[in-house]
Amino acid sequence: MGLLQGASELFPVSSLGHAVLVPSLLRWSFKQTDPSFVPFLVLLHLGTATALLVIYRHEWVAIIRGFFTAAVRGEMRTDSERLAMLLLVGTIPAATLGVFLENRIKSLFTSPYEAAAFLVVNGVLMLGFEQLRRRTERRAAVASESRDEQESHFAQAERISFRAAALVGACQALAFFPGISRSGITIGGGLIAGLRHQEAARFSFLLATPVILGAGVVEVPQLFANGVPVGEYLAAAVLSGVAAYASARFLLRYFRSGRLDPYGWYCVAAGLASLALLRFSL
Amino acid sequence: MAVGLGVLGVIFIVLAVLYALGVLQLFTSGPGNHYKHAILLVVLAVASFVAASFARPKTA
Repeated sequence: MGLLQGASELFPVSSLGHAVLVPSLLRWSFKQTDPSFVPFLVLLHLGTATALLVIYRHEWVAIIRGFFTAAVRGEMRTDSERLAMLLLVGTIPAATLGVFLENRIKSLFTSPYEAAAFLVVNGVLMLGFEQLRRRTERRAAVASESRDEQESHFAQAERISFRAAALVGACQALAFFPGISRSGITIGGGLIAGLRHQEAARFSFLLATPVILGAGVVEVPQLFANGVPVGEYLAAAVLSGVAAYASARFLLRYFRSGRLDPYGWYCVAAGLASLALLRFSL
Repeated sequence: MAVGLGVLGVIFIVLAVLYALGVLQLFTSGPGNHYKHAILLVVLAVASFVAASFARPKTA
């Protein structure tokens, strides 16, 4: 589960959907209705967040410093200061919806059918985001250029507008539904906001860290109170972090010129196959 | 504008304390201390204070 979550968390294929689907399909003895299931997933997410913190450690130092400097000064002067404020604006919608809709969302975690259906929706969204990007490229008359040249016409994360950051943040809240990928939906939102693929991925990864850490802070204590095998869960979190580190490195390289399409098609196929398997108990 | 945002920040802090103490139960799963809600409201308060700092008149 740790390797699965870590590998699928940053890929735009919904780690949560896979965490609900795979145990059901493989008939693992993991009880999704167990009160420790969600905190366990959060612990795995903390492994992922740690991997992201390691990758972006220098950037986070600059962001945190920039946040306090800009907040006290009341003015943004550097890219790090602007990025810090963009991340604050982008984090609030998902955090607010997460807290106030928590119980409704948790009830969805128990159904592999819903996870499979949302996985198909996720795939369609990924394909839709790329179609919109291609249309923008055609309008900008860069469709005939090489991928590297095409990407150079789009912006860095620091240049995104605050309205766009809030919208991308709100999109992030959709990932509370199992099957909808947080990274996929935020990378897609970033593309619509005019970011390069690699910058959209970077903004998505940076945006993920505070929400995941915040969720961990409030959920992990429940995990320890339930008398669950904490040692095994921690080992799973470490595996999750290692897999996430490798995934992030791969994706940042892939999105220099790669697109979301392969992940979109994968989600559609995996979701439909899962629905069929669950329906016919194959 | 800056004063309004500052006041909003203070309101968020008060609400955070009420949720943390279990006095406020709006949009919660039931009675008890709601630290998650409290943390969120503290974040909203910080955002309000930052926005107030940006909105305040700057001296040249």
